[in-house]
Amino acid sequence: MPLLALAVAAGAAAPRLAGAAAGSIRGRVEVMREPPAPPARPSIGELSMPPPRELPNRRRSIVYLEAAPQGAFEEHEGRAVMDQRHETFVPYVLAVTVGTTVDFTNSDRTYHNVFSLSRPRRFDLGRYAAGQSKAVRFDRPGVVRVFCEIHSHMSAFILVFNHRFFATTDADGRYRIDNVPPGAYTIVAWNDGEARETRTVRVPEDGGVVEQDFVVR
Amino acid sequence: MRDAAVAAAALVAIATAAAAEPPVQARRLALGVELSAAVGPEDRGFFNYTSYQDSAHRLARLSLTAEWHIAERVALLGEVRDENLGRPRVYALYARVRPWRDRPFDIQAGLIPPVFGAFSRRRYGSDNPLIGYPLAYQYLTSVRADAVPGAENDLVVTRGAGWRVRYPFGWGSKDAEPGLPLVNALRWDTGVQVHVGSGALEASAAVTQGTLSSPRVHDDNGGKQLSARVAWKPVVGFVLGASGARGPYLSRAVVDLLPPERRGHDAQQAWGVDVEYSRDRWILRSEAIWSRWQTPMLERSLGALGITAEARCKVRPGLYAAARLDHLGFTRIDGPAGRVTWDAPVWRTEAGLGYTPLRHVLAKVAYQHNWRDGGRVRERALLTSQLVLWF
Repeated sequence: MPLLALAVAAGAAAPRLAGAAAGSIRGRVEVMREPPAPPARPSIGELSMPPPRELPNRRRSIVYLEAAPQGAFEEHEGRAVMDQRHETFVPYVLAVTVGTTVDFTNSDRTYHNVFSLSRPRRFDLGRYAAGQSKAVRFDRPGVVRVFCEIHSHMSAFILVFNHRFFATTDADGRYRIDNVPPGAYTIVAWNDGEARETRTVRVPEDGGVVEQDFVVR
Repeated sequence: MRDAAVAAAALVAIATAAAAEPPVQARRLALGVELSAAVGPEDRGFFNYTSYQDSAHRLARLSLTAEWHIAERVALLGEVRDENLGRPRVYALYARVRPWRDRPFDIQAGLIPPVFGAFSRRRYGSDNPLIGYPLAYQYLTSVRADAVPGAENDLVVTRGAGWRVRYPFGWGSKDAEPGLPLVNALRWDTGVQVHVGSGALEASAAVTQGTLSSPRVHDDNGGKQLSARVAWKPVVGFVLGASGARGPYLSRAVVDLLPPERRGHDAQQAWGVDVEYSRDRWILRSEAIWSRWQTPMLERSLGALGITAEARCKVRPGLYAAARLDHLGFTRIDGPAGRVTWDAPVWRTEAGLGYTPLRHVLAKVAYQHNWRDGGRVRERALLTSQLVLWF
């Protein structure tokens, strides 16, 4: 996790934004490892079978440039949503830029209590019911681990970047990062809590599309 | 015969539920480990001693829990605990079955969670915002399951000394042993329970070997306890529960010693009301339990009322403050010096802080003050810290 915070701060040594044609980096992240079941405390004191849960999609990955181009560190005042549905955070992993406000909606019929003890953003939203939403603004880059105080099996990640050169993989594992200035970059595939694979790519002076695939084992 | 019928019914239910092809994700094992250690001064007044003769304020506990979904609607659950490096004990071991997929109807059989009240099912260290337990669920009264007071004076002389009860003129065991709490939160009972409902109204009922105050693995008196609870949840965050239980608590070994005309008056009967309201940063809970033990050699039953109120408030991320007010009162009997309560009434206040630096770590510090209207030690204050680690 510190790796990411360090990485996004290292932009001074990276290629410059202005001047040349921008390119794209695209590819596929193939997750070969079988994600373990989300940890949950045994429901030892319950009188009935717990309701069915939706399993989080832990195969989604984030691909990002370790050192972003200089001048890319503008703040974005965007909004994003992390829902709580069938006792699962959806999406399981969310990537945003610094300055983004995330709405934590509750689509369940039960209470949730979203909280994080991660250093980049510590918060506790308290208990709130279905149909309600509470918002948190993320002002520091890093990895924020999100939990529900009531449901021990609920967890998610929010990756906060201070640049915009990142992408979330789709259902097939594909990603695309656009408007990347020419230059050499270290590109990272992050999956389920860790930076799993690192590669070096070069975006040519005339732009174009660079292919870079990853295999996460 | 009745036990065999219950066991057969449970097996049929398990077989029916297991016959359905489970999805792959349902076949999984969840394991839990919890380590907790409380460090506090010696409780010279024995206000916090449990039926295992451990003080909640000087307790190291290793708890292993497991939940194994052997089929989509069948699970086996268990808990083994070791306290103060003593002999590991099985605290829970039961099967949970949902016979019909679309009906909120569950059966649990084995060493099961109690349906009565609310506190006993708070199993993990983080479920209890403080270090002590509510008096009604832990404080040892001067009633015993293996001995019967022969006269009111037996109780008068042992007022306020429930951790070491002996009836000089009584029947049964003559050894000094711990008495019974109103409800034993630390031991679970063995039997079968059903649970119906999952929305605004839920109901549970159980047939078990022991009683609220004396849960048992093996039946020692041939009688069964019936207990039930109804919970009403009109809105999210609000729960109002009402419970009742009745069963014989005296062991056959002592009942057989009694004169024949005195036998059969050995039931513990209890009623409870619990309420919980939570919203935003607050959780408010309150519980009242009325228990009545029949005592064969006395004219009147021994009644006790435990009332507790608890609040927890999140102060900032990872930090909460909590407080609990507790009272345990008793009915009166005729003693040599006039009418007195059969055990010494107790009051307790406890307030503390809980800090979570990491998700799996909880550090608590609590100040507890106890007062008792009887016994050698009538007042005791304890400042205790506790560390809870779970995985």
